[in-house]
Amino acid sequence: MRRWGLEALGAWLLGAMWILPLAWALWSAIHPPSSTQSFGLFSPLTLRNFATAWGMAPFGRSMVNTVVLVSIVLAAQFVLCTPAAFAFARLRFPGRDFVFAIVLVQLMVAPEVLMVENFRTIGALDLVNSLFGIALPYLGSAFGIFLLRQAFRTVPEELDAAARIEGLSLRQRLWKLYLPMARPTYIAYGLVLVSFHWNNFLWPLVITNSVGIRPITVQLAMFSTTDQGTNWSIITAATLLSTAPLVIAFLLFQRQFVQSFMRARAQ
Amino acid sequence: MKLTRRSMLAGATTLAAPAVARAATLDISFFFPIAASGPITKIINGYAQDFAKERPDVRIKPVYAGSYDDTIAKAITAFKGGHAPPLAMLGAIQVYTLIDLGAIVPFDEVATSAEDKAWMNSFFPAFLANGNVDGHTWSIPFQRSTAVLYWNKAAFKEVGLDPEKPPASWEEQTAMAKKLVRKSGSETTRWGIQIPGTGGTYWLYQGLAIEAGQQLMNKNGTEAYFNKPGSVAALDYWVGLSRQGVQAPGVIDWGVTPNDFIAGRTAMMWTTTGNLTFVRDGAKFPFGVAMLPADKQRGTPTGGANFHIFKTATQAEREASLAFVKWVTSPERAAAWSIATGYVATRPDAWATDVMKKYVAGFPQAQVARDQLPYALPELSTHANQQVTLPLNSALQAALARSKTPKAALDEAQAIADRVLGPYKRG
Repeated sequence: MRRWGLEALGAWLLGAMWILPLAWALWSAIHPPSSTQSFGLFSPLTLRNFATAWGMAPFGRSMVNTVVLVSIVLAAQFVLCTPAAFAFARLRFPGRDFVFAIVLVQLMVAPEVLMVENFRTIGALDLVNSLFGIALPYLGSAFGIFLLRQAFRTVPEELDAAARIEGLSLRQRLWKLYLPMARPTYIAYGLVLVSFHWNNFLWPLVITNSVGIRPITVQLAMFSTTDQGTNWSIITAATLLSTAPLVIAFLLFQRQFVQSFMRARAQ
Repeated sequence: MKLTRRSMLAGATTLAAPAVARAATLDISFFFPIAASGPITKIINGYAQDFAKERPDVRIKPVYAGSYDDTIAKAITAFKGGHAPPLAMLGAIQVYTLIDLGAIVPFDEVATSAEDKAWMNSFFPAFLANGNVDGHTWSIPFQRSTAVLYWNKAAFKEVGLDPEKPPASWEEQTAMAKKLVRKSGSETTRWGIQIPGTGGTYWLYQGLAIEAGQQLMNKNGTEAYFNKPGSVAALDYWVGLSRQGVQAPGVIDWGVTPNDFIAGRTAMMWTTTGNLTFVRDGAKFPFGVAMLPADKQRGTPTGGANFHIFKTATQAEREASLAFVKWVTSPERAAAWSIATGYVATRPDAWATDVMKKYVAGFPQAQVARDQLPYALPELSTHANQQVTLPLNSALQAALARSKTPKAALDEAQAIADRVLGPYKRG
């Protein structure tokens, strides 16, 4: 009983540490700049920061861009990584482990190193300043292939053999056996992917020029004001605006997410 | 997949559009950073539209490119990828990086007429200094700033100091700061002064060093002077403020300092002129702005960004870029930009315009930055700039956190800087 109490305390502490920045962001977003750091209970409340932030950048348009961009990347990675992961997990072909090692090497390369080369490629394809140009370097993912391969390998060989005896084709086995079994991994992977690409900043900034194409993070950078003091109220308001869809989605589907993570880990 | 195809088509049309328009007008894409709050994008876009009325054959297309660091990263990537814009506003300290890359062309090669030469000389020399390398003018100043001291007149009055008299020397500053500290029990509720140590980190320190008689680099950007007696004295003074209990201990945050000032948690602060509007709007007490106090002399570094023209621009693009730069830096526009943003108007005749005179009459604090310019020196900038400033920043923060003595920390930074700059020095 005492042990349980300690665990609960620890969980509450961790939870508080996690929520504190968000709580502070909310606090300073609804107060005028002069009272962002003094927590007077009766400080004047205001929604003007949100209006100011919203007026400084086309947030609506950028939000749509981000959603489209993340959807392209998510769909492409699921479609492209699944067969690759399956081949590495269950098919036998010469050089399989060598090719897989090469895929893994890509995990070690920081994307920033490839920026100039990627820029050249996108330039050669005439895709500079387009949503597809932002997405293209991210359509395949070594991380995704690795993660799904591990998930596929946990499917018992006996089940696979049984399905084969039932006369299921390769594609049917993938669709009816492997995909359902790996569902928690897909959800966990999708979540990590969405939050990464929602937050990705430097590449979208470098490869785009028009306001109409840029994702939300690039607009958000407008509030980093090194030549002046920082207006925390406006920054936090803008940050809350741009993360709101993610936070709301997470709160709505929280139970499913947590369960998937638990199951993905249990595997 | 449908989405993908559609966005591919969208990409194709956005690319096709300029090609069609090019028949009639010349497109000049122009990268600019945002380092100040306020509707900067709207102002810049407004300039581009107004310029189109003067020069219908040229269309300036402003591209917002993030912070100073983001903008230089984007510009260099675009240059290496073969898509450099003709024109970009980049941090004035990037000049050596850009020259070493062979990325930019000096303005004096583009602006060749006698009238052009006169125009290039019409800016404050302090703002031109960063871009003057090897006898060329590589950049034209636009959004520029300097460091100044802000003081809380109400706090001065409260402790019996003359509210109209800011400190003029380091000793005065320390003595006043001591009086201004207010405690409740063992907790300090108001510090005497704050000189922040993040953000540029070295920027305000450079002000101290200049005042102690030591500029941090030579004119060719091939030598750094981090551990000269003046440089060490400057850091000693800075760390000493905390040791004497008149400044909060440790590294003080750049972004929070103005908030501390308007909330009355520090009675004086050093920060950029760019904070004027923020402080004016936020402070509920009368405040003053003064030149930084002197040790051996007055002094401040300049800061901010300049116009650069890329080497890859065609003759027509260079000419059009120059025309825009000349237009946007005219006295009236330099004055309007300064009033709208808080940056310092970059040329003396901008201060003589009627709008500027009227503005300064109502808000005399704005004039301090100009009066300080004769004492201003160029911001720290060398070859391999990043590799030279990074060890200095680490050294300063280590000394402020008191994990190293100022001398030891600066010796280390100097050793690294010497190693990095060695090849450039031998030239």
